[in-house]
Formats: sequence, C-alpha cells, structure tokens
Amino acid sequence: MDPVNSTLGRMLLDEITPVVMVLRTPFVEESSQKNQLSFIEMLSPFCNFNNIDVPVRTASDQPYRLKKFKLRLFYASDIRQPNIEVAKERLNQVITDAGEKDLSNLSSEPLQIESVLNSSQNEFLPSWFQYFNKELVRTVSFSEHEAFDHPVTCLLAVSSRDEDPINKFVDLFNINQLPSLLNDGSMDPKMLKHFVLVHDGVEVPLERATKTLAEMRSTFGANCCHLLCINSSKDGSEEHENLWSAYKTDISHGQQLRCFLSSDDLDELKKFVQDLSSKHIIPHMEQKIRLLNQQVSATRKGFRNQIKNLWWRKGKEDAPENPAGPTYTFSSIESQIRVLGDYAFMLHDYELALSNYRLLSTDYKLDKAWKHYAGVQEMMGLTYFILDQSRKDGEYCMENAFTTYLKIGSSGQRNATRCGLWWVEMLKARDQYKEAASVYFRISGEEPLHSAVMLEQASYCYLFSTPPMLRKYGFHLVLSGDLYKKCDQIKHAIRTYKCALSVFKGTTWRHIRDHVHFHIGKWYGFLGIFDVAIKNMLEVLACGHQSKTTQELFLKDFLQIIQQTGKTYEVPKLQLPVINIPSVKVVYEDHRTYASQAAVHVKESLWRSLEEDMIPTLSSKSNWLELQSKMLPKKLRESNICVAGEAIGITIEFKNPLQIPISISGVTLNCEHSPAVSEPNANNSIGEQNGETSNKSATSGNCASDTSSFTLSEADVALGEGETVLVQLTVTPRAEGTLKIVGIRWKLSGSLGGFCTFDSDLVRKKVMKGNRKSKRSTFDNLKFLVIKSLPKLEGFIHHLPETVYVGDLRCIALELKNPSKIPIKKLKMKVSPPRFLQIGHKEDLEVQFPACLERKSSKQRSLRSKTDKVSDDIFSFPEDTSIADGTPISWPLWLRAAAPGKISLYLSVYYEMGDISSVMTYRILRVHFNIEVLPSLDVSFQISPRPSRLQEFLVQMDVVNRSSSKGFQVHQLSSVGDEWEISLLEPTKVLPSDFLLAGQAISWFLKLKNCRSVTDQDSASSLCPSVKADVNLLCGSEMVFDLYSSPLSEFHHYERVHQRISDQEHEDTVDFILVSRSQCEENDRANIFSHHICHRSVRTSSPIRWIIDGPRTVKRDFKEPFYAITLKMIVHNSSDDVVSIRCNPSDSAVNISSSGTTSAASGNEVGWHDLSLSNDIKITPDTPGTRVVKPMSSDPVPSFIWSASSSTHFTLDPLSSRETPMEICVFSPGTFDLSNYSLHWSLSSPSDQRDESRASSGTCQGHPFYITVLQQD
Amino acid sequence: MASTACFMIVSRNDIPIYEAEVGTAPKKEDAAHQHQFILHAALDIVQDLAWTTSAMFLKSIDRFNDLVVSVYVTAGHTRLMLLHDSRNDDGIKSFFQEVHELYIKILLNPLYLPGSRITSSHFDTKVRALARKYL
Repeated sequence: MDPVNSTLGRMLLDEITPVVMVLRTPFVEESSQKNQLSFIEMLSPFCNFNNIDVPVRTASDQPYRLKKFKLRLFYASDIRQPNIEVAKERLNQVITDAGEKDLSNLSSEPLQIESVLNSSQNEFLPSWFQYFNKELVRTVSFSEHEAFDHPVTCLLAVSSRDEDPINKFVDLFNINQLPSLLNDGSMDPKMLKHFVLVHDGVEVPLERATKTLAEMRSTFGANCCHLLCINSSKDGSEEHENLWSAYKTDISHGQQLRCFLSSDDLDELKKFVQDLSSKHIIPHMEQKIRLLNQQVSATRKGFRNQIKNLWWRKGKEDAPENPAGPTYTFSSIESQIRVLGDYAFMLHDYELALSNYRLLSTDYKLDKAWKHYAGVQEMMGLTYFILDQSRKDGEYCMENAFTTYLKIGSSGQRNATRCGLWWVEMLKARDQYKEAASVYFRISGEEPLHSAVMLEQASYCYLFSTPPMLRKYGFHLVLSGDLYKKCDQIKHAIRTYKCALSVFKGTTWRHIRDHVHFHIGKWYGFLGIFDVAIKNMLEVLACGHQSKTTQELFLKDFLQIIQQTGKTYEVPKLQLPVINIPSVKVVYEDHRTYASQAAVHVKESLWRSLEEDMIPTLSSKSNWLELQSKMLPKKLRESNICVAGEAIGITIEFKNPLQIPISISGVTLNCEHSPAVSEPNANNSIGEQNGETSNKSATSGNCASDTSSFTLSEADVALGEGETVLVQLTVTPRAEGTLKIVGIRWKLSGSLGGFCTFDSDLVRKKVMKGNRKSKRSTFDNLKFLVIKSLPKLEGFIHHLPETVYVGDLRCIALELKNPSKIPIKKLKMKVSPPRFLQIGHKEDLEVQFPACLERKSSKQRSLRSKTDKVSDDIFSFPEDTSIADGTPISWPLWLRAAAPGKISLYLSVYYEMGDISSVMTYRILRVHFNIEVLPSLDVSFQISPRPSRLQEFLVQMDVVNRSSSKGFQVHQLSSVGDEWEISLLEPTKVLPSDFLLAGQAISWFLKLKNCRSVTDQDSASSLCPSVKADVNLLCGSEMVFDLYSSPLSEFHHYERVHQRISDQEHEDTVDFILVSRSQCEENDRANIFSHHICHRSVRTSSPIRWIIDGPRTVKRDFKEPFYAITLKMIVHNSSDDVVSIRCNPSDSAVNISSSGTTSAASGNEVGWHDLSLSNDIKITPDTPGTRVVKPMSSDPVPSFIWSASSSTHFTLDPLSSRETPMEICVFSPGTFDLSNYSLHWSLSSPSDQRDESRASSGTCQGHPFYITVLQQD
Repeated sequence: MASTACFMIVSRNDIPIYEAEVGTAPKKEDAAHQHQFILHAALDIVQDLAWTTSAMFLKSIDRFNDLVVSVYVTAGHTRLMLLHDSRNDDGIKSFFQEVHELYIKILLNPLYLPGSRITSSHFDTKVRALARKYL
C-alpha cells in the first residue's frame, strides 16, 4: 500500500501543513458572518488542494512538482497551546455524544461472533474513533518544540468598511496583540505578510475599495496586496452549504445557510487562496529551505564542523541541568534545522527532512533536551514511513519517541499519546494489528476515559488481526468497559460489554461469564432497561463456584432490579433452584393403586411378578369376540390412565447451588386439561384435532378458569446452603378428559417467578440418550387420560411392629376399606415372601394367641397332609365378600421373622368393580412395609450316630442368645416327622433362671431315635406315638405347642424350602423346631418364637453302620480242646445305593484307638466322639469295674482267633440290614477286645451319578467289643 | 513463593478443567475473574506460539501489567497455564513438568474422561504442594 494513501499518510498530509496566521478587523468578521461563517471558515474549503501542480526545486536543485497541498488557517488568538481543561472537556463531550447516539440499539441482541468477523473493518468500527483521535492529536498542537505548527504566513484582512484601512493593517500586526509564542521567541515573528482588503459588495461601493487597494499597494508593496470581494449576491439565496458542511460542525443538517456568496465570489475566493499558496507561500518556503540549508551546510556539515560541534556540546555538559531541557529560541541553530526539516517535510522533500532530523536528533540527545529529541524522533519515524523504507528504523524511532515522551513525565503524556496514535496508524497501515493493539494498550495512561477509548480501539485491533484474536478482543473490551463505567459512561460500557458478550457467550470460564453477565445486567438495570438486565442477571444466579459474598451480592442486586421493575416477572430459564429433571418421578394410580408412599418406590417388576397369576390378561382369558368389545381404543391404551379425583403425584428434586439459603414459594405444577372427547371410538385424527384446539384454549396453569377440571397442590420450600430437597406436588383431575403435565412453576424470594417445562427438546434428547432401552421416556408419560371416578380400596396394617426378633411369630391384621359407594368384589390377595408372611384364616382374629397353638389331645393331625400342599397359591377371599361405603374388613396375617436384617414385605390385593360399565374392570392394591428383624436365639445341632444302637443318634443342641438385651425362655424342641422320636438324655437343669440371657449359651444333649424300623418300614408311621416327637425343655410347663397347627406348619414348609441344601431329597434328614418365649415386658402378650432347623442329616461319612451282638460274658471249660463263641454282626446300609461289603477279620491284633480313656460321664462335656465311647461302656451294665487292657502288641500269640466264616462277602440293598454270623475261638480266659477286623465297603452303582464329594469305597475299622471269658468251675 | 499465582489447566477444547489460586497473597474478590480473563486472553497467543516450537514449555508468553503468563503445552494440546508475578523460569519449568506427570496419572485413570473437570482432591493437594516447592 502506498504510504501516502494510507490513513496515516492522509492524516499527515492534513496535519503537517503550513499554518497561516489570520489577523482581521471586526468588520471582516461581520461581513463573513452574514453567511453564518467565520472568516476562516469561509476560506477553508479552498485551502485544500488535491492537485496544485506547483514546480518546486529541492535544496540540491532537483525539480519536482508539488501535487497535494493544504493550508491551515488559524486566528492569531488560537495560535497557542490549547487549554488542557477545555480540550479535555471537549473530548469528553465527543465521547458522551457518541454514547447518546448509540442508545437506539442498546437493547438489541449482541452480534454473533461470526457476523462480527465477516463484517468489514469500516462498518464495524465506531466512526467517532477517527474524530476522537484527531481531537486528541490536536490537544498538543502549537508546541514550542516542533516547527510545523509555526505560522509560515500572516494574512491580514481589513474590510473595505473600515475607516483608514492602511492604519488598520499596521495596527493589526501590532506586536502586542500577537500570540505569546511569537513574542517569547519560540516562533519566528518575521514571516511572510499578505494584505487582503475584504470588500463587502453590498455595504461599500467598489470604487472605494479599489482606491484603498491602490493605497495599500503603494504602502506594502504591489505583490502582497489583494482585494477580495464577497457578498455580491443580493438576496442571500445562494446554496453552497455542501462546501462547508465538512468544516462547520455545529450546523445541523437541513438548516438552510443564508448565503450571500455568489458563484463569482466563490471563484474569487478560490483563486485568491490558490494564488496565495502557489505564488507566495510555496516560493517563500522554498526560498527559506534553500537559505537554511546553506546555513546548516556551512555550520554543521563537513568533518570540521562536526568535530567542532561535538566539542562544543561536550562543554555544555558541565552546565547545570535544566529539568525541562535547554530552551532554544527560533534563532538558535537547532531550531533553524528543525524549521528546515519541517519545511522540507511540508513540501514533501522527505530526504532532506530526514537528513536534517537525523542531524538534529544527535544534538538534542547530547543536550539531553528530551522533549525536543522525542519530537525529532517522532518526525523521523513518520518520514521513514512516508518514504516507505526501513520499517525497522521507523518503528524504532516511534518507540524511542514514545518512551522518551513518557520519560519526561506528565508534560509529555499527551505528546506520547499523539505519538502513539501515529505509531498505531503506522502499524495498522502495515497490517501489524497485534502490535498496534499493544501500542494502544500502552497509550492508555492515567486519564481513564481516554484509556477506555484506547483500550476499545486496541480490542478492535485484536479483532482485525489475522488470525483474529477473539479472546484478547473480549478481554480488552471488558477492560475498556470497566473504565467507561468508572467515568460514568454507562452506555459505552454496555456497548463494549455487549460486544464482549458475543465472544464470551456460553463460555465455560465461569468467572468470566459471571463477571460479564452480572455487570452488563446491572448497568442495564441502571438505565431502566429491565428486561435485558434480568435476562443477563439470570445467567449468573446459579454461581455455586463463587464465594459466599459474591453470591449474596449477585442475588441482592438481582432482587433489587426485580423490585425496581415493580412487576412480577416470569422467566423460562431460572437457574435457581436447580431442578434435576431426570429425577422427576411421577406417581399415578390406574389399575394399580398404592397403600402408602413406600409401596410406590418398589420396582414395578417386583409387583408384576407377584401379581402375575392374579391379573386376568385380556388376550388369554377371553376369546376374540369378547376381545373386540372389551378392548380399549388404541389411543387410550397408549396413554396413561388416571382416575378422576385421584391425585397424580410428582416428585422433583430441587437443589440450591449457592452457599446462601434461598426461599421458594408457590411451587405448583403447570397442567393442561382438555375435556373428554365425546365418542371414545372416534378415529385418531378427530381426537387429535380436538386435543390441539383445547390445548390452545386452556392456558397452562391458569387455575382460575380451570378450577373445575383439576386442582393443584402448592408447596413452599426453604433451601439451605447447598441443600437438595425433594418436593412432592400433586395434581388432582376433577373431570374426565386429557390431562397433561407441562411443567413446573415457582417463585423465587417471593418476587420472581420461574417456570420450567418438562418436555423441552433438550431434556427429551438427554433422556433418550440416557436410557435408550425404555421405549417411552418420562416425558411421554406426562400425558394422562382421565377416566371417571372408580372405587379405590385402601389398606392398612394394624399391630405392625417396627422391630422384631428372629423367630417371632405374631398375628397382624390387614384392614381394607372402600370409601366409595360402588361395591367391590372378587377380592384376591397374595403375599411375599411366604417365609415371612402367611395369610391366616378369618377366625384367627378372634382366638387367643398363643393358646391357639396349644395341642389339644383330641385334635387330629389331619392338617399335615394339607401342609404339604401349601404353595405360592393365591388366596381368595370368600365369594360373598363385598366392600363398600367405608366399612372396613379385617383379615389376619401371620408374620414370622425368619431371618435377621431389614425385611421388605409385599402384599397385593386384587379386586373387581361392582359395576361393569367402567373402563377399568379391576384394580390392584399394593401394600408394602418394612420390618427390622433383630437376631435372637441361634440354634445349631450336631448329630452323630450312637455306636451301640443302629437306629439311634445322639444330638447336641447348642443355643446361643445373640440378641443385645433380650432374654429368652427355651420352651420346646420338636422333631418333625413321624419317624423320629426325641428325648433328653437326662433331664438337665443348668440355667439359673428360666431365661437364657443375652449373650448366654447352653447345650442340650438329646437322643434321637428313628422309629421307622428296618423291617416294618411301611407300618411305622401310623404306629409310632407322636408325643415322643416333642421334648418339653422347660420344667414346670405342661403346655405343648402343636407344630402341625395352622401358621406354624406353613412356615415350616417354607423354611424347609428355603433351607434345602440340594435338590436331592433323601430320607435320612431330620427337621427340628425350637419354640421359645421371651420375657414379656412391653405388654401382656406372650411372644412365641419358633426356630426351624431343617434337613439335618443323620448320615456319617460311610454308608454302613454295624454292631456286633453276642454274649458279653462266657463261662467255659478250657479243658475241652475247641470251643467257639458265636457272635452276630448286624450291618445296616443307610445309603441309597447298593453296597457290597467284605468283612476281614485279622488275626494279628491291631492296636486301635486308645481304649484306656477315662470315663467321666457328664452331660455338659465337650469332646464328642471319645465321650460316646465311654458313655457307651458305662451304660453297658455287664462291664466289669476293672477293665483289663491287654497290651496286644507285645503278645506274639493271640489269645483268640476268628474262625469259621471269618471272611464274608455280601451285598446290601439300599436302606436295608443284614445279619451275619461270626465266630471266635478262645484259648484262655480273659477279657478280649474283638476290634481287630475291618469292613470294606464299596458302592456298586455307577459312580458318575453321584456327587464327587462322597467316596465310592472305603474301609472301616472294627468297633471295640469286649468279651470276657471265664474258667468254668 | 510468588505472591500472586493462578494455575489453570485448559483442555484442548479451551475449557478449564482445573484451577487453583496458589499465591501467598490474600485472596481478593475480583482477582478470580481478572486472572481468568488474563489467562483466557493468553490462549490467543498460545495458539500461535504452540506450533512454532517443539518444546512443551513456552516460557512467558504474555503479560498484563506486572502479571506474567507462562504456558506449558502437552502433546495432547492440553495447556497448563500459570499466571505469576515472579520471574523464576527454572522453578516454573520444574513445576510444569511435575504437574504434567500428575496430569498423566489422572489421564491413566480409566474412570476419568479426558477433557472433563479434574475433581481429584489428591491431585489438588499435590499441585499445591508443588507450587509451594517451586514457585
């Protein structure tokens, strides 16, 4: 780009031009004022020459033609340094005016950043910047250290109306009236003078004027006198205002200028100025340049001069330093060089100018005349720019000038500003926007308002740099806005922030977002543009990341603005409180009704599985003919159904993100209700149309008009710091039709209404993403079909304990009530889990508990067969049950706490409507409650076979009280099943009291007998006395509970199912039921606890059991040579398989387990297996007191040998016994241990059918059997 | 330790994912947003500079009055930015390198979604400890 045509180039050609000082008499001014123009204004349109085409010669006689030229005219009174205060005032005015102009689009939306980027520089930049910059530059004009503002020519104007014009001319150039700058020597008072006689064509005849001109010519010289005729037009109707519009700022458009200047006058004016320039000023300047150049060459050029100069300057260094630098008068050589340079610059001889500036700058630097130095550096920079050479040097000069100006303190500040502005333009012309911005940033100094403008311009530089630096743009706009605000220029502040918003919109930098929105909102509030203010303030309300004080400030200011409006606003995107929309839960009752809130929160699938069998399914239970009539219209089936008069509840999570409490009032739902379509069978299109129209008519949430169709609940919430509150809202439809829940509305701090719609696209999208599996999102579910009111069953549970102990058995009552007139019938009920809950019989409510469990002798045990059939069946209420009119019915339920922990119990009641006409034929009542079960008695059993009896077992029962405080009384132990008999080994009475206190443990030893004998297995069950199955463990109590009575047997069944170990059911297991009672402290009720221990196996590791039977004491005569003692061995196979058994007697005595164990029979002893042995021995009546233990290993010859069928091999069928004879020969009297045999068994069935844990074969060592042989007398 | 220092991690999408005021100077109310503004604006410079060098540590790239912005760009174009008023290039470099390691550890967490806010309190304490050590 040609530097001359750049902004800076044009600016320089405008600003650095010869100054003409104008002196005029009052009459001159008066004449020109007729045209409402001052004398200067009248001339100025003609002072600008675009193609003056004057030949000029450089100092070295190079000819060139001057094209562009301009004169600046100033009254003598204006040739002085402008008053700073006035200048500042004027600048502020410029800014304020600009701010007012922008008011119209203040409340408009901020631009999109894309459109900002696409718009060209000129249309986006505020136009007043240019003007402001020019004004700012002019505040430092006529400074003494620069020569381009020094007047080149003096124009003296005297009107032809003046008396004695010649004297007037003399008077005008009176030295006293001249500007002080001329008098104090900083400007050259000797300048080219030009005398003009202004002739007002109306007032004075032309002859007088020509006469005066002749006089002037004779006095001042012929060349420098001129006659100027103006106002020759008589009627003042000439129109040329467009000529002056650029020069006269204070006329408003459309105002007609009364102009007395005819076109001849204008031509004359033009010719006059052109003559002045080309014939006088330019030649004068050219001449002066030549003169000065010779002078400078003589004194400064050449080696000798330079040395001399240097030496001379050095000498000056010793002089006391003047803080403002040395003063130079116009006659000093430095000033002369400066004038030479500036003149050369003005005549576009830049090379000459540059060489002189260079020369001068070293001088000033040596003199430490910093201001002058900076001024020269500045000009050097500009000259480099115009010459378009050595950019680096140019920038360096500008930088140097700028810093030097700043260095000299406050007086240089404004010069620095001007220098900076030129520098910026220089950089801009070279597209160095980024650097330009940083220069703008440096210009912004103390004056906040000017800084604001500079920062704003800096921001635009960032915007226009390539690539655009948007973040910097935004930041500097904000900085500038803050300064504008500081200077009360709110409109500018808003304008900058609004631009910044287009950058920061939707930013994730939260502090930035909050700052921008908060301030712009606040300022709009100041201006009274409340809607925009509120819109912006809303953005910052949910500022949980800010400090508490900031949050308070935000909220306070926001509420203040709301108050100022005096209205209640409703805004769609109120972020306070935060509504967790995915948390919205809708509770409504169609055919499913809930007894309590707790029942609502249970998973639907759980209820479904419970109700599976109860609900009649349309498709399966009715044929296709019925199906058609019963089927609901498709539309009805797809939407949710609710019943008029029954509330739909919605739970919403409100969260306060702030650290300060907020109050929310009047939270209600927004609903739309459209009345029922008359024909439910009408096709879809009509239905939809109806729906649409009614939606339009029923304004959402307008409660006043819609009171008949639905009622809403209202909630007030106070949210503490960071609190989350679940709000429950209900809407109760009153009339049939369609009800749609649209959203929610609330009031923040009683003044600002907010509403939130549930089914906005955004939310829906989120939800769909979240659970794609569910076909219908929550928000599709917010439309309800309201059907006419139906009976609804209500259910309560009476006597429900909150905590119970394990095993607690009690009766609770379910009360069902139907407040409606319409009766309901066909009630069915199902409970879950059956291990905990059983449905009782109606009469159970009346009988005394626990007396009802007591065994009556007469009672037949017929129930047992029924017990086995108890399954997950549905309980049906008696056929005639019909509930209506609020009369309650009660039904007993048995509760047994089977296991410790928190237990959820479910109960669901199915019922059908009394009248068939309704849309719904049946409904379901769902009841859910929780109980906490605490541990009580812990019962464990150990069963081992009794060695001496085949069908008997020894049982150890350990009871530990695991409860924390409660005491229990162990009452009764029963074995379940006909084939088992149980009895105490010996009556124990070890408890100090009857109660087993908390933490205590006790053991009982019991004998368990399988009365199903091996031989007569079939008849055993009927024959065995059942009384034997129960053991009363509590002394003094005769009460025996019948375990086959109603609730206990059912519970036992479910316990069996629950405790089943494997699918394989085998017979050799025994179930125990321990019944205990608690200390009755709370009330008189005796609590019964039943503990069921099922499937205790009586088996041992080997499948066979055997005993040896025979005489214990034999008397024999040893004189006979050979005597055999016959014994028999009974072997029992307790497994389910065929076992082959081989008996191996060995003659070598095997020293089996320590037979010398001391016997100390005590019921409480531990160490089970050895004990059984000694027990066994002790019980045997014939055992002698002194036992002879034979050291068999030491005796080489055994005293007896097995004989006859010593080794046998046989097979045993499952669960069968067999006797085998055995025989020994004894050779000497004594007591013998016949345990030196072993039994090998192996299962004969294929091994792959059984589980791996059991061995398929094994060897058992013989039991000790003692036989005493005595010598026969 | 620097009297004013603000450390921030900016994800590749220019979203701040971690911020901490680590200076010793008492916290001022308006400091938070000013720091954010400066760092945010400095991203413009980073955007140009990051591609001119292969080094991750870009030294001081921008300044505002007496506050200097130092930046460290990771290979994934996550920017660790530090606003500080002390000139201790070596310390800052070590600080950045160690925080980078911590950040990588965060990234290795399979439950951390890259580009999301770092909420680990362990990370926070570690960063503050590093700031005390190096700045």
